Amino acid sequence: MDRYNHYTVEDFVWDVFFRQWVLSPTRETDIAWNEWAENNPEKSDAIQQARSIVLSMRLNEPEISEPEIREVINRTLSRIRTHSPEFAPNEEPVKRPFYRAMWLQVAASVAFLMLSAWIGYSFYNKKEAKQSGEYTYADAGKDLLLVEKVNTTSANMLVSLSDGSKITLSPKGRIRYPEQFVDAKREVYLEGEAFFEISKDPDHPFFVYAHGLITKVLGTSFRIKAYELSDEVTVEVKTGRVSVFAQSDPDVVEKASNRELEGVVLNPNQKIIYTREEVRMIKTLVEKPEIVLPKTEVPQFEFEDTPVSEAFVSIGKAYGIDILFDEELLKGCPLTATLDNQTLHEKLTIICKAVEASYEILDGQVVIHSKGCRN
Amino acid sequence: MKSQSNFSEASDDKTVWQLFLAGNVEAFEYLMSAHFRRLFQYGSKFSKDQEFVKDCIQDLFLILWEKRENLGNDIAVKPYLMASLRRLMHRAISSKSWMAGESLDEKEGSFELEFSVEQEYIDHESTLARTRQLEKLLGELPKRQKEVIYLKYFQEMSRDQISEIMSVSPQTVSNLLQIAIKQLKKHWKAEFLTFFVIHLFI
Repeated sequence: MDRYNHYTVEDFVWDVFFRQWVLSPTRETDIAWNEWAENNPEKSDAIQQARSIVLSMRLNEPEISEPEIREVINRTLSRIRTHSPEFAPNEEPVKRPFYRAMWLQVAASVAFLMLSAWIGYSFYNKKEAKQSGEYTYADAGKDLLLVEKVNTTSANMLVSLSDGSKITLSPKGRIRYPEQFVDAKREVYLEGEAFFEISKDPDHPFFVYAHGLITKVLGTSFRIKAYELSDEVTVEVKTGRVSVFAQSDPDVVEKASNRELEGVVLNPNQKIIYTREEVRMIKTLVEKPEIVLPKTEVPQFEFEDTPVSEAFVSIGKAYGIDILFDEELLKGCPLTATLDNQTLHEKLTIICKAVEASYEILDGQVVIHSKGCRN
Repeated sequence: MKSQSNFSEASDDKTVWQLFLAGNVEAFEYLMSAHFRRLFQYGSKFSKDQEFVKDCIQDLFLILWEKRENLGNDIAVKPYLMASLRRLMHRAISSKSWMAGESLDEKEGSFELEFSVEQEYIDHESTLARTRQLEKLLGELPKRQKEVIYLKYFQEMSRDQISEIMSVSPQTVSNLLQIAIKQLKKHWKAEFLTFFVIHLFI
């Protein structure tokens, strides 16, 4: 305990061993400290003062009672019980769609709350909302001169717009659009599924209205699925960036007219699922993310004793996706693998296996969980 | 309550964790009740909204349950839970403030510690002044330093545990701690002296 000989009051206050003795003394620490104090009588004042300070500085922890804790636990239990197949043995073990995954629901729960507020608000201002463009496909643009294309065939149908944009309309899809885009906004109305390749024109943002969801782009390609009988609208981005917002959004006018992309912004390979009934948006990745770099710039995914962090950076760049990881932790993890022919998910799975990490998709990003490699 | 009896006090976190991974609901319940209070206390440092903190903890456990097949079976449970809650709350708070149109750095980063000074332990006025001073200095530390101090001195976590919880390297933890303590000591001395001088003249 010689190191304590030059300690001042504040040194003692922040000394772990000293604090342990003060806050929860044991026989051993008592003996050690009493002996030390006897041998260093000139320090007794300092010790006394440090002791008072440590004892008197109480951290205020929030109060929560056992019944309150119990209540949350029971609530949680009842939720996992209704979800677990083992508690519903008569039910067919249905594989839940991935977007039902709990973490996604959580990620979306905040969005859900806010959107609920928006809905409430827009209900309140219903008249105003009507003016700002709340409509169904059926009455969309009745007062405008719109062309309607309906794909009654069983093959995809190509629709060219006056600005050079191309829409690939899936079977049973319907789309309404003006013959000539004359307004500041380029606006079309979709029902069903379509893939959009929009020519770039930042001065005339392009809007797709589909089932309560507005997608705004400046120039990009993306797919929208908005089937009449489905509650869900999904938007998947292939290139460029798009922003989406609900028609019920009270700020919809402002968001739509702003030159910047606002609302939920999607990057390539990201996807939004908008559920009309539940009024929530979930951001995730498309099922099969594709490489976004031009072919000539795609690196080889051949790693030999490469730091795994470099591998993640290179993959993230190729797919235009943020891969979040702790650089420090993964520093010492070398990776040797050839991953040219795998999908993004296969690549990530293999790498994570190799360095004892795991990954999840959160809010359209990949998050790597690792405890680091100790070798 | 009956389910908890299945887990004697001897069952350590690790055993329970593995049962939990295997889909045992009682292990899940045990984990949640064993860690709830600490998680609640920790979570409350990021948000004063107690209902929100409770919801986050509930969500955390639902996520873990959902993902249990992909979770490691040899982990330190306590820091893992705290780290996961921290991540989840940061995300929730940042999207919440985004939705509310608040600027991120304003809301996202708060880590609030509240102290009270229990005067019964203090016999000198100078000690009281010092304690109050320290309390003030602690409150002025940057959030990450505050968090390290909290985990180290008030939750008695080891350097490695803290590094896992805050997802920074152990070296970063040491650095943060060192800077924080240095700061506390330096200002403390300076301000304490001023206090003293003033008192001499009054």
